[in-house]
Amino acid sequence: MAGDMNFTRENAECFLIEEAEMLDELRLEEWLKLFTSDGLYWIPIDETMSTNETVSIVRDDALRREERVFHLLKTRFPAQSPRSRTLHSISSVRVRPKVDGQVVVVSNQTIHEVRTGDYRQSGLGEMHTIVARMEHLLVLSSDGPKIVEKKVLLLDRDMPLGNLTFLI
Amino acid sequence: MTETRTASSPQVAPMAGSSGLVLEEAHKFRVHTRAYNDRAVFDAEMRNIFDRVWIFVGHTSEIPNPGDYKTSYIGMQPVIVVRADNGDVNVLVNRCVHRGAVVCRELRGNAQQFECPYHGWVYQNDGKLVAIPHAKEAGGYSEHFDKPAGLYKVPKVDMFRGLIFACMDPNVVPLDEFLGRAKLLLERRFNLSPSGEIVFRSRPFVSRYKGNWKFQAENIVDDYHFVFTHTAFIDLQAKYGDATGNFGLHPGGSASEMRKSRYRGNVWGVDQGHGILDAPALSPESFLNGRFGDYYKAIQDKVGAEEFKWVVGRGIGCIFPNLGIIHQQIRTWRPIAPDLTEVTIYPFELKGAPGEFNQGMLHAQERFYAPSGHGAPDDVEMFASNQHGLEGHAVDWLLLERGVDTDEKQPNGDYRGQPSSEACQRSYWRQWNRLMTKSAGA
Repeated sequence: MAGDMNFTRENAECFLIEEAEMLDELRLEEWLKLFTSDGLYWIPIDETMSTNETVSIVRDDALRREERVFHLLKTRFPAQSPRSRTLHSISSVRVRPKVDGQVVVVSNQTIHEVRTGDYRQSGLGEMHTIVARMEHLLVLSSDGPKIVEKKVLLLDRDMPLGNLTFLI
Repeated sequence: MTETRTASSPQVAPMAGSSGLVLEEAHKFRVHTRAYNDRAVFDAEMRNIFDRVWIFVGHTSEIPNPGDYKTSYIGMQPVIVVRADNGDVNVLVNRCVHRGAVVCRELRGNAQQFECPYHGWVYQNDGKLVAIPHAKEAGGYSEHFDKPAGLYKVPKVDMFRGLIFACMDPNVVPLDEFLGRAKLLLERRFNLSPSGEIVFRSRPFVSRYKGNWKFQAENIVDDYHFVFTHTAFIDLQAKYGDATGNFGLHPGGSASEMRKSRYRGNVWGVDQGHGILDAPALSPESFLNGRFGDYYKAIQDKVGAEEFKWVVGRGIGCIFPNLGIIHQQIRTWRPIAPDLTEVTIYPFELKGAPGEFNQGMLHAQERFYAPSGHGAPDDVEMFASNQHGLEGHAVDWLLLERGVDTDEKQPNGDYRGQPSSEACQRSYWRQWNRLMTKSAGA
C-alpha cells in the first residue's frame, strides 16, 4: 500500500471486518495493536464541541485503551458479569483519501449486543441494537493500515444510553 | 393509598403517623418492597412529594440570555425553564392550555414565543397567551369565553447559587429553610471557584435504568457499596493510579486505602430528607503545594485556612428528592415509572478555575461516570438487579438500619451518623414517609 490511490474499498472492508472480528471475539490485545501509539478511540456526545469543553462517552488515548481492555479481560464488574456478546455488521463503506498517506474510511455499522447468563433476569438476554456511523482515520504504512483515530458517531449519542461497557 | 396497602399487605400494620411502608422502631429501620415497585405508591409520590417540595429544574448558566430556555421535569410534569425579556426565570408547564399538547419539543434553545403545533395558540416566552387563531370566525369564541391567561406558571421559583428550584405548592417553606444543612455543602463545593460560581458547559451523561428512582437517591450517599460494587475500579486504580486521568477523584490505590478514605468524617441525615457525607481534607498542604498551588492558595486566602480544609475536602450530597452533588457534577434522577428512571449527570466547570483543572475534572468523570465508564454502569446495574429481586413477594422489607444505634439526633432534627452508617438513607425515608403519610390522612 504505497499510496492513497491504492487503498481500495475492498482494502477498507477487509480492515473493518478484521477489526470487528477482533472485537466480537474479544481478541482485544490484538485490537490494541491496530492503533498508532498516539491514536484515539473517540465516542463523542457532541462532536461539534471541543473535548476540552465537554465529556465524551469514550475518549481513549493509548493508556486508557489499555486500561479499558484490562478492565474487560482481567477484572470482574457488575455491568459485564455476565458478559456481553456482540456482533458487528458493516455496510456502506467508503474511502476518502487525505494527504500524507492517510485515508478516512467511513462506514455505517450496526452492533447487536446481548448479555449472557440467566436470560430471565432484568438486563440479561435482551437484544440491544447500537447504530453508528464510524470514521476511521488510517495511516498507511509498510506494516499495513494503523488507526490514528476511530470516531464512533452513535445515532443516539446525545440521548439516554444504556450499558455500553463493551467495545463498539 | 391506605386502602390499597391494607388490601395487598394485610401483615403490615401501619403505625400511627406512618405510610405503613417505613418501619422505624428500636434498633430497626426498614422499608417495604412496595415503596419501590407499586404503581399506586408511585402515582402518590408524584402528587405528595413532587408537587410539594422544591425540585431542581436547571442552572442559570444554561439560560443566560432573554428567551433562553431548557425543558425539564417536575415529577411527570414537563416544564419549560425560560428567561423572560426582563431577566426573570419562569417555570412554565409545557402543556397547551387548549387541548394539552406540549408546546416546546426541544431540549434547549432561544424563543420569543412558543406556538402550539396543534391549533396554533401562541404564548409569549413568559407564558402569556397572546394569540388564539380564528377566535372570531363562525363557531369561534364569544365574548363570554373565559380566556386562560397562558401556560400554567409554576407558583414558586427560587435560586441558590445558580441552581434553579421550582415548587408546585405556593405555601412551601422558603428554599433556604428547605436546603438546611445542604446549603453549607453546596457553598463549599462552589467556593472552589474563585468567584463562587459554577457553569454548565459540558454535555451531560444521560442514562436510563430499569429500577426505582429512589435507588439512585440512596446510592449517591452510600459509602458502604464502593469497595464491593466498584471492586474492579479499585483494581484499575491499583494498576494505573493517576496515569489514566483519575485527577485525584477517587483517592487510594487499594481496597483498604479506599475504605479508609471513605469511612471517615461525617454522615449527616438531614431532617428535610437530604443526606450528606463530608470530611475536611487530611492534607490541605498537598493542594497548596501541588500543580494548581496558586489557584488553591487564592481560594485559601479568600475562605480562610480552616474553611479551606472543607472546601478541598469531601462533600457529597443527596438533596431530597432527586438532586445530587458529587465530585464536580450535579446529578438528577427522573422517575418515569416505578421501575424506570432516567439519570442525568451534568459535569460542571468552576468559573475562574484554570482551564486544565476543569478539563482534568471533565476527563476524570468521563472515565468513571460515562455509560461506558468504569463506575456508573455498575451502579445502575445494581439498581436494575435490586428491582428484579423485589419482584418476588416472599420477603417484604429492605434493611436500612446499618449504624442505627450510633446515630446521634441533633436538636434541629438532623442525625449525625458514624462513617458507613445508613443515616442519610434513613432521613431520606423519614421525609418520604412524612409526605406520603400526610396525604393519606388528609
